[in-house]
Amino acid sequence: MVDLAQFLVGGLAAGTLYGLVALGIVLLYRSSRVLNFAHGDVATLGAFLAFTLLVGLNWPFAPSVVASLIGTAAAGALFYFVVLRPVKEATLLGRIVVTLGLALTLSGANTLAFGADTKVFPFPLSDIRVYRLSGVVISQLSLGLSAAGVILMALLYLLVQRTRIGLAMRAVSQDLVAAQALGIPSRRIFALTWALAGALAAAAGILAAPVTLLTPFMMLDPFLKGFAAAVLGGMDSMPGAVLGGWLLGVMESLFAGYISVKFKTTLAFLIIILTLMVRPEGLLGREFHRRV
Amino acid sequence: MDAEKSGAIADKGGEATMRYARVFGLVLILAALLFPATAGVAQERGITPTEIIIGSTVPLSGPAAYWGLGVGRGIDAYLKSINDAGGIHGRKFRTVLLDDSYLPPRAAVNVRELVERHNVFAIVGMIGTANAFAARDYIIESKTLWITPTTNDIWAGLREKKYLFVTYPSYLNEGRILTQYAAEKLGTKKMAVFYQNDEYGLGLLRGVKYGVGAAKGVKLVGQASYEVTDADVSAQAVKLRQSGADTVFIAATPTQGALIVREMAKLGWRPQLLATFTLGDPIMFRLAGEAWNDIYLTAYFPLPGSGDNKIEETLGTLFRYDAALRGSPYNALAGVSFIEPLVEALRRVGPDVTKDKVVAAMESLRNWDGAVARGVTFGKDRHQGLNRIYIVKASNGQYVKITDWISYQTSF
Repeated sequence: MVDLAQFLVGGLAAGTLYGLVALGIVLLYRSSRVLNFAHGDVATLGAFLAFTLLVGLNWPFAPSVVASLIGTAAAGALFYFVVLRPVKEATLLGRIVVTLGLALTLSGANTLAFGADTKVFPFPLSDIRVYRLSGVVISQLSLGLSAAGVILMALLYLLVQRTRIGLAMRAVSQDLVAAQALGIPSRRIFALTWALAGALAAAAGILAAPVTLLTPFMMLDPFLKGFAAAVLGGMDSMPGAVLGGWLLGVMESLFAGYISVKFKTTLAFLIIILTLMVRPEGLLGREFHRRV
Repeated sequence: MDAEKSGAIADKGGEATMRYARVFGLVLILAALLFPATAGVAQERGITPTEIIIGSTVPLSGPAAYWGLGVGRGIDAYLKSINDAGGIHGRKFRTVLLDDSYLPPRAAVNVRELVERHNVFAIVGMIGTANAFAARDYIIESKTLWITPTTNDIWAGLREKKYLFVTYPSYLNEGRILTQYAAEKLGTKKMAVFYQNDEYGLGLLRGVKYGVGAAKGVKLVGQASYEVTDADVSAQAVKLRQSGADTVFIAATPTQGALIVREMAKLGWRPQLLATFTLGDPIMFRLAGEAWNDIYLTAYFPLPGSGDNKIEETLGTLFRYDAALRGSPYNALAGVSFIEPLVEALRRVGPDVTKDKVVAAMESLRNWDGAVARGVTFGKDRHQGLNRIYIVKASNGQYVKITDWISYQTSF
């Protein structure tokens, strides 16, 4: 029983990270239908920026994180203006391939600039200090990271659902021509969405790095899982992304604990296939019907 | 009339001479095109009057880049230092490093490129058993010198091993030796293994099973694998704890090795820990923190920070040539240990280098100590140059040698 609870705690902690990654993917997909394959590498860039400020320049923790979020947001907006905007005539698939190119470029650049060795990301919370609740253990770090993840998710939800900028983002995603006709500056809104996704990715990277250790490839696995979580929850649903993350984290942990550790990673792929077969729009996604 | 006749004959004779001259000329051109090297002395591939070309394919990107960059750049920095000291008999080394991202198909293609396009004299290293197996047949059939692939027993099933030399410990024997040591000296009764789900981890798992079979009163009660890209190993930690093991053997990369130790510490579970020599980098104390203390692992050369002068001197040289190697001193030294027997053999051969002469010189190394590699012995019937390891214990952020060399039988 204690082991079951421990598997659940581990799964939920991992699931929060998956959900955070999924949110960034969904945010961009909702607005532009572009599946951003570079999301994981943008997250890694954010983590490295914060690490460089923290360790290389000895900045305090909070300013390092804020500067990293701003820097990565700027990189996201820059990518939209410099690369994606000029190829706006390309097909959707073409634009998705462009993000693949960005992923490869960023991964190489991260390795070149920051080195491939594994680094310890300094974080104000301890990984070793743990809280016990009738045999179930959770570390201060996991608790803090999960809380930070949930707060970020809530803030993003409020931004998109309760502010004028969020309304404009939703309008652009639902009907671009109508939004433009109503005077919404669609280019700026798209750039803002890319910037927001960049900052969200950096936040995910900074929250992942203390747990996964910092390497240029640390987001390979969380990105794949975040993608699976997004498909599971619904590619256009932000609450779906969060739910998908938690569900995937818990399922994966239980699967590894009671069925097979070896096929733990395969489970994410299996979930993508099953979701697309049974409920293509995902758990909380909207169902699209086309009348003939 | 006669004069006309003789003139005609003379013309015919001239035409025939011209025809022969043309045919002869054509033959000469063809010969020059087909056998360009026959004009001078027959040249060995990868050896020019001024250069010795050495190649390797290692993961310079992807999840195993930490190993590849350390080993590859370590080899490169070491050879540069030799070049700056005058090279070997007037020749300088040129290193060609290709990236295989730890993917076997890319390793196989890279090896062809190294041999056919870059004309390398020897391939040094290669990281990953699966990669080396993918490239093995081509390297052997192309009769390329192959020095120390860092793999499981790559030679198993090979008939032709003349050009393969290995100075890397056997994972199988390492697993066995550490398990037996734990059973005899540390009171291990229940063993569990955390391993990478590929030939690297499986080789060590086989070694532990071998050791469990050889030691008395020890059982293998649990095993949990991970994929090289895994970022979360919390479930594996719980599963290992569930097994009730008193000792856990870690056969992983530094990242996942550190992650599992941290996860176990988080659970408040502190079994006796054993680890493979690939985790001998002092960086592990930083990555795994406090929990890395008291772990037992093996080594096959003096570890950085253990007070060996030659090792510290070599590290100083490597860091001068490539400051980035400060992040992976152990892997950089491992790279040097792979290449230095070949450098010594080239020194012994003299200026007239051929592959067979280098093979003979390698086979003449007896209990040879390099800057990093120690006690290397090759022979006509022995191309596994290293058959001993020793055990160290992590204590207060340092590795302390606790046994003398422990030998095992060579397999080829």
